[in-house]
Amino acid sequence: MSGNVRLGAGMAFWGDSVRPAIEMVERGDIDYLCCDHLAELTMSILAKQRARDPSLGYTPDILDLLRGALPHCVEKGIRVVTNSGGANPRAAAESVVALCRELGLSGVRVAVVTGDDIGADIDDLVAQGVDFANLDTGEPLSTVRDRLTHAAVYTGCEGIVAALRQGADIVICGRVTDIALYLGPLVHEFGWAPDDWERLGRATVVAHAIECGGQATGGLYAGDWAGVDGLEQLGYPIAEVAEDGTAVLTKTPASGGRVDVGTVSEQLVYEILDPANYLTADVTADFTGVTLEEVGPDRVRITGGTGRPAPQTLKVNMGYRAGFVGEARFSYTWPDAWQKAQRGITFLKKRLERAGFEYTDEIVEYLGHTSMWGSRVPEPRDPDLPEVVVRYAARCPDQAQARKVFTESVALYNNGPAGVAGVGTRPPLKELYAIWPCLIPREHVRQSVELLEV
Amino acid sequence: MRVVDIAHGRSGDKGDTCNVGLVAWDDEGYRILCREVTEERVAAHFGDLVKGTVTRYELPGIKALNFVLTRALDGGGTLSLRSDHLGKVMYAWLLRMEIEGPG
Repeated sequence: MSGNVRLGAGMAFWGDSVRPAIEMVERGDIDYLCCDHLAELTMSILAKQRARDPSLGYTPDILDLLRGALPHCVEKGIRVVTNSGGANPRAAAESVVALCRELGLSGVRVAVVTGDDIGADIDDLVAQGVDFANLDTGEPLSTVRDRLTHAAVYTGCEGIVAALRQGADIVICGRVTDIALYLGPLVHEFGWAPDDWERLGRATVVAHAIECGGQATGGLYAGDWAGVDGLEQLGYPIAEVAEDGTAVLTKTPASGGRVDVGTVSEQLVYEILDPANYLTADVTADFTGVTLEEVGPDRVRITGGTGRPAPQTLKVNMGYRAGFVGEARFSYTWPDAWQKAQRGITFLKKRLERAGFEYTDEIVEYLGHTSMWGSRVPEPRDPDLPEVVVRYAARCPDQAQARKVFTESVALYNNGPAGVAGVGTRPPLKELYAIWPCLIPREHVRQSVELLEV
Repeated sequence: MRVVDIAHGRSGDKGDTCNVGLVAWDDEGYRILCREVTEERVAAHFGDLVKGTVTRYELPGIKALNFVLTRALDGGGTLSLRSDHLGKVMYAWLLRMEIEGPG
């Protein structure tokens, strides 16, 4: 392939607005729409849904997106690559096929990429010597084995490349890396070798810059938030990638937001660890030499990334049930709002103690004062403070304990200090899922592709 | 002066690790950042918000420093009791840090 490959970032998480992606395929000149729907916690939620109903377990926002985008994609030949399959890519693909029929679109090839879900194979893999020890703490998997909700490998772009080679128009994956959604189309179009570390690393830097959608185009911009126009119709980013892996970043034409060195720089440092060793399933990318240059209005050239061989192990994201959160919040008025709030918290803690409350950790936050930086913020000095909102939360072993936080707080309405408001209705109890990060040698992981045709 | 006078930033989560990226507005600002915003001072500035370690990395091509803070999110995004369970506002605390200006 000669010329550029134009990748559009369509979604950044499950629940992200679908409108920027639809506007991008309407107005933007792109070859691929790449959509990330999975955060760390998402797989636990989706696995729980799949356990309840085998037709669920994917992020249904893919259907909202495709309902608006697909007619344009078919007309313009834009292919879609997404990890919205989550814990059930096959079910997602079947729903997409049904949607195509409903929209009267025929000849659409929908690929399903699997191989990331090792939930059913854990015991076999352990028997083969994979220990799945916790990457952070070193603890053995047996600590949480009976509480696991899912186990998914962060897989690379190989399956996506195979699907595109087979002619897929829509590629639906489970837990592939966010980066793989972008590398897959590039490897397919440019025919890069799987060990072309330099190009893969360079393109990984480009993918990282745009994978969080509107965060590269002025959304969440700390540098000059007040100077960014049109946040309400923010354009999502587009990378025009050259054969050498460098790119010019831009956004949907006639959209809000901006692409400049400031907005892209902030996104480059978002959620990275050691920039010389950005680990993915496909390459170890090196961000340390990256440079940016404004080459036109809303156009930034990104160069200087590189890469080294991919790690021999792949990251596994397992989730396990970790109890429930009990939470209550209430507000106190002037006079003595600060003192009353603290008296209210003492009241709640003593009531909980008397109720035999069991918990592992707790937190007290004064919203509007300490909810962001906790103990780093000194007590308010204003003796005339109009109001204080206080929030109490605790991690509890089960629902019955967590429920006590609310029930014991209700008495604050008529037994506690005066001037209280907002001891509200019973909040839903939040179940906690913890992440068990671990590794698997890559030879144990095989992706496979299945093609469905409408 | 404060860090906010010479730089902007963004923060986020990876499990119980939070990273804070600072981007200087110009070369002089980057020089000051490198000199003033050290691992030791950042660790002291975050105090008990960060229970683990602070490591600094440099990205000179974009005039940025990246700070990796371990055990910094009360157990990580999925477990944390904090309102800011994803570390999205940790960058702002670092922008408030007092530093020495040019010279």
